[in-house]
Amino acid sequence: MEKSIETIWKEGFLKNDALVAPKLNNLYNQKSIHLVDKFKRMYRINWIAILVFACVLIPISIFVKIPYMGIPMALMFFAVLFINRKFSKKLNKIDTTENSYQYLMSFNSWVKELVQTNTKLSRILYPYIFLSLIAGFWFGGFGENIPGNEFVANFLIEFPNSYLVFGIPLVGILIFIIGVGLLAFFGGVIGKWDINLVYGGILKKLALLISEMEDLKK
Amino acid sequence: MSSDFYTNSIVPYSGIIIKICRAYTDSQEDFEDYYQEVCLQVWRTKDQFRGESKWSTWVYRLSLNICLTMIKKKKNNRQHSVSDYVVPDATEDNHAFSDESLNLLYDAIKQLSEIDRAVILLYLEERPYREIGEIIGTSHNNIAVRITRIKERLKKILN
Repeated sequence: MEKSIETIWKEGFLKNDALVAPKLNNLYNQKSIHLVDKFKRMYRINWIAILVFACVLIPISIFVKIPYMGIPMALMFFAVLFINRKFSKKLNKIDTTENSYQYLMSFNSWVKELVQTNTKLSRILYPYIFLSLIAGFWFGGFGENIPGNEFVANFLIEFPNSYLVFGIPLVGILIFIIGVGLLAFFGGVIGKWDINLVYGGILKKLALLISEMEDLKK
Repeated sequence: MSSDFYTNSIVPYSGIIIKICRAYTDSQEDFEDYYQEVCLQVWRTKDQFRGESKWSTWVYRLSLNICLTMIKKKKNNRQHSVSDYVVPDATEDNHAFSDESLNLLYDAIKQLSEIDRAVILLYLEERPYREIGEIIGTSHNNIAVRITRIKERLKKILN
């Protein structure tokens, strides 16, 4: 007589070897590898996107007549890429033969260094971007009338008593200095926010994984 | 994970976890990954267990949820990186048990949909229909009908 599925199930699991649990010795290896690989993938995509953007920015900015914005910004992106390329090389040097905890700790200290450097860089980058934007709209296209001069002329018609410094209204210079100052002051915070926006999820997972592994070690 | 927690709260229920993980995996490597993930999640979520159900029900529910999530993730990964997907070795012996009938039953169960697999596993573990309904999120009448249908399908596959 054919056995019912219930009988197959019951009899099958009566045998001793049917329910041997695997050892929990490899618990975090896969997780660590997946996490770091995911980060590496995101990091690579991010920098390729910046490289493409920087390359496209130059011809487009010339075409739309704001080269004084596009060229310095593209140069800045290239500089950022150069700095982060060094980080990329360091990341690839992390010893994958170490145990999962050591591997994640090495990765974590690499991430901390990356965040620290990019936070410092952001204090310069954001004012620089602001400066490029102003320069772009002030100087206009190559070999053409300077829109900034037209702006000053119109401004002087509206406010004839304005005080000028090097031909530029003082109030404009003050607004520019305040803008640069604020961006330099908050650049670090903006930079951190920016990193969190892109890598926040994965960095939280990293912290959680490390804290669990430390917990398990106790 | 403290060894006390593992010994008292996971080891007695490891059979449940093994049976469920086996139904959702095709290789020993995947099975070990799923098993470890379930154990880890049981440990992680232990504080969320409020004693409203039996601990075994909690473990069933968690094991099924994790297996379903991992299957989904695996499918997504395959879609995103087809080139990275390692084709399982056709020569690999995926038969996990020495009992050939049980292996065949598992092969048949694996041909069911993911939810039907969960339903039949719970049924074979003699969980009451009401509890199966709670875990799956449907009425116990629906479960009764579904189990009859699944059993017929399994018989067809096995024959």
